[in-house]
Amino acid sequence: MNAIFYSLRGIRRYQKSLLVVAVITPLAFGASWVCGVRWDILWKGLADSAALVKLMTPEWDAFAEMLQPALDSVLIALVGTLLGTVLSIFFAFAAASNIAPRWLRNSVRFILGLERAMPEIVILLFLVAAFGMGPFAGVLSLTIGCIGMLGKLIADAIEELDPISLESIEAIGATKIQLLVFGVIQQIMPSVISFALFRFELSIRLSVVLGAVGAGGIGLEMYRAFFLLDYRRATTALVVILAMVFITERLSEFLRKKIKAEGALK
Amino acid sequence: MKVTSHYTFSPVSYRQRATIFSVIAVVLVAACVFMGFDPSMLFTEFHYVIDLFKEMTPPRFHDLWQDKTIGLAILETLSMAFMGTLIGGSVALVLAFLAAANTMPLAAVRLMVRAVLSFQRVIPSLFIVLIFVAAVGLGPFAGMLTLVFSTIGTFGQLFTEIIENTQQEPADAIYATGATRWQVIRYVILPQTLPSFTANLFYAYDINIRAAIGLGIFGGGGIGFQLFQAMRLLHYRDALALICVTVLLIVLTEKMSDALRGQLLGGGALK
Repeated sequence: MNAIFYSLRGIRRYQKSLLVVAVITPLAFGASWVCGVRWDILWKGLADSAALVKLMTPEWDAFAEMLQPALDSVLIALVGTLLGTVLSIFFAFAAASNIAPRWLRNSVRFILGLERAMPEIVILLFLVAAFGMGPFAGVLSLTIGCIGMLGKLIADAIEELDPISLESIEAIGATKIQLLVFGVIQQIMPSVISFALFRFELSIRLSVVLGAVGAGGIGLEMYRAFFLLDYRRATTALVVILAMVFITERLSEFLRKKIKAEGALK
Repeated sequence: MKVTSHYTFSPVSYRQRATIFSVIAVVLVAACVFMGFDPSMLFTEFHYVIDLFKEMTPPRFHDLWQDKTIGLAILETLSMAFMGTLIGGSVALVLAFLAAANTMPLAAVRLMVRAVLSFQRVIPSLFIVLIFVAAVGLGPFAGMLTLVFSTIGTFGQLFTEIIENTQQEPADAIYATGATRWQVIRYVILPQTLPSFTANLFYAYDINIRAAIGLGIFGGGGIGFQLFQAMRLLHYRDALALICVTVLLIVLTEKMSDALRGQLLGGGALK
């Protein structure tokens, strides 16, 4: 009798875990059926790729050709982030409840939310269809993505500002523009810079992917090399990308530390 | 007491600011010239955007109901993200226990696992998806494997930090009663970390849905691929319908993931 009681208690104790397993297992089987999971293909393919890896010694001669596309990618990310940051400050003003009227704030927040919901790659597809391939579409899509993300972050930072400091500036008779320049921008600048650096790291990674869809740059080189089954060239591109990501991340970290040490451009 | 005023520009900081801004401006202009990026093109060429917009509206939702492949593509994207989160999350969890200092006593194993995790984080996903497409062919399976890979990299690191941030005192207390390492993991570390693991998995699903759409373009299948096809074949009205569906999908996932996470971390389930 006791034995049954205890075994039942055991089940009850793990009731929740059992329920989770019972829900997830059929879902996982369904999902793997939809995805067409075939592990045998994977093992075979990976075995083949292992042979491929031997072919993937980087082609050192191709390095010189990769530098220009890599620089293009970095510049796309840089210009996209800079433009995006500057524009997102304006969007943030319009999206902060303590500066903009309610209707403006809500509508701008809606637009920013929409921009965030669209992956950069979808924006790029749209822009490539309008402007043609090239860095212009790439820069613009990164700018739009940057506005969506930083606009919201900066607007939140503005809304968290101490209302007393803003009121005291208003009280001495400052105009609206003076209030924005001396009250708001002064205070949010440190966070704007750190957001921008964070976004720059993200933009570098994105510019690689966007490059393959039509923005040009190092991503396109890698995609093309894969397409032509030139794996050595692809590996070269990978090495260049890794170096690029590593260097920009170090740089951004260095700037962040320096700005922190100097008291954020006071 | 010396009163410093933040709200006036002192000559030094004014000069510093001017230098920084002019350097940024010069870099910006130089970069634009070098790339051939002309901001005024946005205004001179803007009629192309308007033309495109005219061609795109109104979105044609007709095909969404008619064509079964679209419905399947949405399902594929959802499944890709789900499997990527499930498998990637589980592997990340195991690796995190092997990489955390308070669960893995051997420093050599820790270092190795950490090296693997950071290696997975730095490799661009474009490269991974192209490799998997070469290995298993076009389709959602390749996309799923890519998501597994990137989820392990990102969340393995995060889970390691979560495990290392658990309180040491309860673990010491249980060790003092003569418990083994396994028992400590089961009765101290797991209960403390399970809510945040689950919450982060919902977050991972949100990220993976977005990533899955992008991966579709490079042969990962799903709705991203359908969108790319529609754009390439100039079926703009279908494309806009697909964009609407994509945005809806992303927004719904985000809201759901946020709500579930809030509920989990705010106390409640899975205690």
